[in-house]
Amino acid sequence: MTENRKLKTISITIVCIWLGVFALLPNIALLLVSFLDRTETNFFIPLLTLDNYAKLLAPTFISVLLKSLALAGISTLACLVIGYPFAYILARTGERLRPWLFLLIIIPFWTNSLVRTYSIYTILQNNGVLNALLNRLGLVEGSFSLMYTNFSVFMGLTYTLLPFMILPLYASIEKLDLRLLDAAKDLGAGPVRAFWHITLPLTLPGIAAGSILVFLPSLSLFYVPEILGGINYRLLGSFIQYYFSKGNNWPLGAAASSVLTLLLILLALFYRLASRHTDDGGSPVALTGGKRPKAGGRA
Amino acid sequence: MKRFLFSLALCLLLLSTALPAQAAGKLIIYNWSEYIPDDVLEDFTKETGIEIIYSTYESNETMHDKLLVQKGRGYDLVCPSSYFIEQMIKEGLLLKLDKNRLKNLGNIDPKVMNLVFDPDNQYSIPYMWGTYGLIYNSARIKDAITSWNDLLRPEFKGRVMLYDDPRMTMGVALLATGSNPNSTREEDLQAAHKFLLKLRDPKNVFDVTAAKNVMVNEQSYIGGIWNGDALVAMEENADLRFVYPKEGAPLFLDSFVIPSGAINVDNAHAFIDFMLRPEIAMRSQEEYLYCTPNLETLKLLDKEQLDNRVLNPTAEDLKSCVFVSGVGEAKDLYARYWEKFITNAK
Repeated sequence: MTENRKLKTISITIVCIWLGVFALLPNIALLLVSFLDRTETNFFIPLLTLDNYAKLLAPTFISVLLKSLALAGISTLACLVIGYPFAYILARTGERLRPWLFLLIIIPFWTNSLVRTYSIYTILQNNGVLNALLNRLGLVEGSFSLMYTNFSVFMGLTYTLLPFMILPLYASIEKLDLRLLDAAKDLGAGPVRAFWHITLPLTLPGIAAGSILVFLPSLSLFYVPEILGGINYRLLGSFIQYYFSKGNNWPLGAAASSVLTLLLILLALFYRLASRHTDDGGSPVALTGGKRPKAGGRA
Repeated sequence: MKRFLFSLALCLLLLSTALPAQAAGKLIIYNWSEYIPDDVLEDFTKETGIEIIYSTYESNETMHDKLLVQKGRGYDLVCPSSYFIEQMIKEGLLLKLDKNRLKNLGNIDPKVMNLVFDPDNQYSIPYMWGTYGLIYNSARIKDAITSWNDLLRPEFKGRVMLYDDPRMTMGVALLATGSNPNSTREEDLQAAHKFLLKLRDPKNVFDVTAAKNVMVNEQSYIGGIWNGDALVAMEENADLRFVYPKEGAPLFLDSFVIPSGAINVDNAHAFIDFMLRPEIAMRSQEEYLYCTPNLETLKLLDKEQLDNRVLNPTAEDLKSCVFVSGVGEAKDLYARYWEKFITNAK
């Protein structure tokens, strides 16, 4: 038993050291640099300043930020609209078929996402795969391109991030106690009403988790909008990347990155608050306690 | 528990054997992507036994920042463009070369030696040079294109492609507005910035990596392109034409340099000398289709290659072309206007 506990202590220590060294320290360093000044030849010099944050108040950055937030919001919504029915069907599929469907969701992850982004490019580009297919079917004539449009960007982000929405949604839909729906039906509720008053509130934690997992990456995934959207889609992620790799202004990049981190923390807090609210807000979860039977266990 | 500790120890052991490989027989190269053929690297290793570790960049800016941050350490051989070399010398990032060890140096065209950015070639040895000229699709554009200002024609709206390389694209804008691509006057840069803003259409492409593709697949009809990229694209789409605009085109010259923190300095010299061999330089040229400064290599080319004006521009073609060079203090002006363009700042 003590052996076991030691193992636990060691593995937890390793995880803590790992996260401390590779996540916490770099972020603290980033935050520090964001308050420093720079010169032509030095990436940063030890001179405290708020200049970088002041520069972020300029209309350029504000418009980049707003556009990034809007894009991330719409992609999250798109993922939710596609992902919810997807996860619902997945959770209701028979035990035999389900692992295969999961495999199909996971398989694309085996390919680097940059490669997948370029394959979307190949599909949507002028004289691309989609173009050729529609020509062959006689639906359109000549060449057309869907690249460098709002559509190509949404398609790229939605495709890349959809699994992050589906998996948490699946987890919470799968836990749903179907007896509650039966009870609702017995008491005369139609399917829409049952969904609205039972399924939706009970799967809210899944919706929130999925939305956060999609929203945050779509703010910082710079290459997807840049490759598929071109010059007009150099958003928050590209902005940060530009100042670190080409623009030679680390403190400004660090300040922009710190704003993003702050946003992340706020969202995480919001999520905790929201999930606590659903847990003790007198919702049906409290009624069934912790002993919800598995979906397959009803009879 | 014991088993856990054992496997941990095993992992550490494996790591420790993996890290310090034979320091004597290595060469760490940091180069533009698609710039030295794989089989040339393999042949070098076969001949000398020196193991090559190869990594790539897509822009001078990225390469420069990385070397600056690592204080010149981490790589044994890099290949910056001429206009970065001046600055890197000033920053102390480069090592003086030992020219006694470069037996094949005499092969290089004197025209690209002793240039302003590195008088006497104390730090850099030319590898390849090229032009950033105009490319257009002759099936889509019927009249002859002769000027950078044709990019602005309303019928090409959304059909223009330029690189996201600040000096090349700013160079084009400067030439189009009647200035020198190395101008240090703020008014000139302002005019160039205005020119670029007129091209800021969402469907115009500003991307060096996508360049060949968008021209081949006719996403764009007209644009600026390196001659090597142009030749590759022209092989895949026969309608593409490459021209030297009447205002001139920016020229680039990429040279091998050894960073100040290099460990395998001898191997780096050996590699530079290897690359200076006529037949080796020819293999690079045939693969990537840029211009070679190696006079002995030019003698090996056949008539078709020599007559190809994209690959081998005539003196007439190069008449108004200008090598992009360092701009000293004005570097920040360039950065400011480029940033303004790229981030669409008001």
